[in-house]
Amino acid sequence: MSSSPESHLSSEQIDAWLGGSPDAVTQNHVSQCQLCQEQLRADQEIAELIAGLPLWSPTSGFADRVMASVRVPDPFAFRSLEATRRRMLATPKSMAFAASVGLLLLGSMIASITWTLGHQATIASFGSWVVAQSGQAMWLGVRGIALNIIEQPWYAWVSGFVGNPGRLALFSALVSLAYLGGLLTLRRLLAIPTQRVAHAGF
Amino acid sequence: MASSATELGGLSDQEVVLRARSGREAAYRELIRRYERPVFALLFRMVRDRELAEDLSQETFVKALNAIDSYRPEFKFSSWIFKIANNAAIDHLRRRELDTLSLDGSPHAETPEAMQATALQIGARQESPLDTVEAKELGSAIEAAIGSLRPEYRSCILLRHVEGRAYEEIAEILNLPLGTVKTYIHRARNELRVSLAHLKE
Repeated sequence: MSSSPESHLSSEQIDAWLGGSPDAVTQNHVSQCQLCQEQLRADQEIAELIAGLPLWSPTSGFADRVMASVRVPDPFAFRSLEATRRRMLATPKSMAFAASVGLLLLGSMIASITWTLGHQATIASFGSWVVAQSGQAMWLGVRGIALNIIEQPWYAWVSGFVGNPGRLALFSALVSLAYLGGLLTLRRLLAIPTQRVAHAGF
Repeated sequence: MASSATELGGLSDQEVVLRARSGREAAYRELIRRYERPVFALLFRMVRDRELAEDLSQETFVKALNAIDSYRPEFKFSSWIFKIANNAAIDHLRRRELDTLSLDGSPHAETPEAMQATALQIGARQESPLDTVEAKELGSAIEAAIGSLRPEYRSCILLRHVEGRAYEEIAEILNLPLGTVKTYIHRARNELRVSLAHLKE
């Protein structure tokens, strides 16, 4: 924007002056030009008048009214599909990355299905072997635990105690009561407090 | 809550936005705390109606905070929220002819109580009743002069001289070329000088 004959100074020069950083040419011109001095003084006054206007505030409770309509994401939830989709489509680079991952997954799935169809007998024999091995391992484990318990010094006393039907019923009732008490205590401990806790930090 | 606000108070807007995205409600409230006054002041001076300005401010924040995932941190958060606020004001002004400014209450208020309830709350800068009257008259004259500007000039001059935004940022907020912003501000100042000439006398 060039200097106009009426103002002598361009709008850039006036802005630079108002911003407190006039160049030497502007300073030199202003020092000799009565008209520009008056214009700058007037513009300065206008800028100061506007800057001095009061800052209005919305009525109290504004933040609460806004927050009532804002959806805050659950910090413990997994990122929503919408946010992930938006992030994936944000830039050409992220789109290319997402497409590569998609192609890789698709390729792996096709390869997996093809191999499965061609090796059904292998998969069946491997399945039988896994079932047999795990059954054997489980049986050995149970047997080991049972032998270990029988060899304990307190086993004979416990065996004698629960051998009587009345004592067995009493023992079962006591264990059930202890279990119930434990459950109630746990539920109480995990309950959300009904009042806001001042030092909780959120 | 207080310690959380103190902790967030020292962070940049971008850092607060990151915390908001991870689901911290305190971060949302911090963004509102930082920008409720500038956004409301801009909108009030654009639409010149307190109730309406409050509705538009609320709409601005709800829109911005619900779309916080789409905010790009390489830009200033202030530019983003002012852009949303300015668009809300311009949309409204396009739909409706403006009434004259009233510092005494909303022109849409139907009862004296409603007028009182919607009256502007001027900050306590004044010291005596006479000062109050003079300041209110001066404030009214300036507000009226700003209100008489074209909406585009109004946005530019308010962002420049009330919010202290750089020309480049104003151009980004208003989606205007830099040269146009400079011209608008220059013309707005000239028009205000003419409108307020009587105050000198």
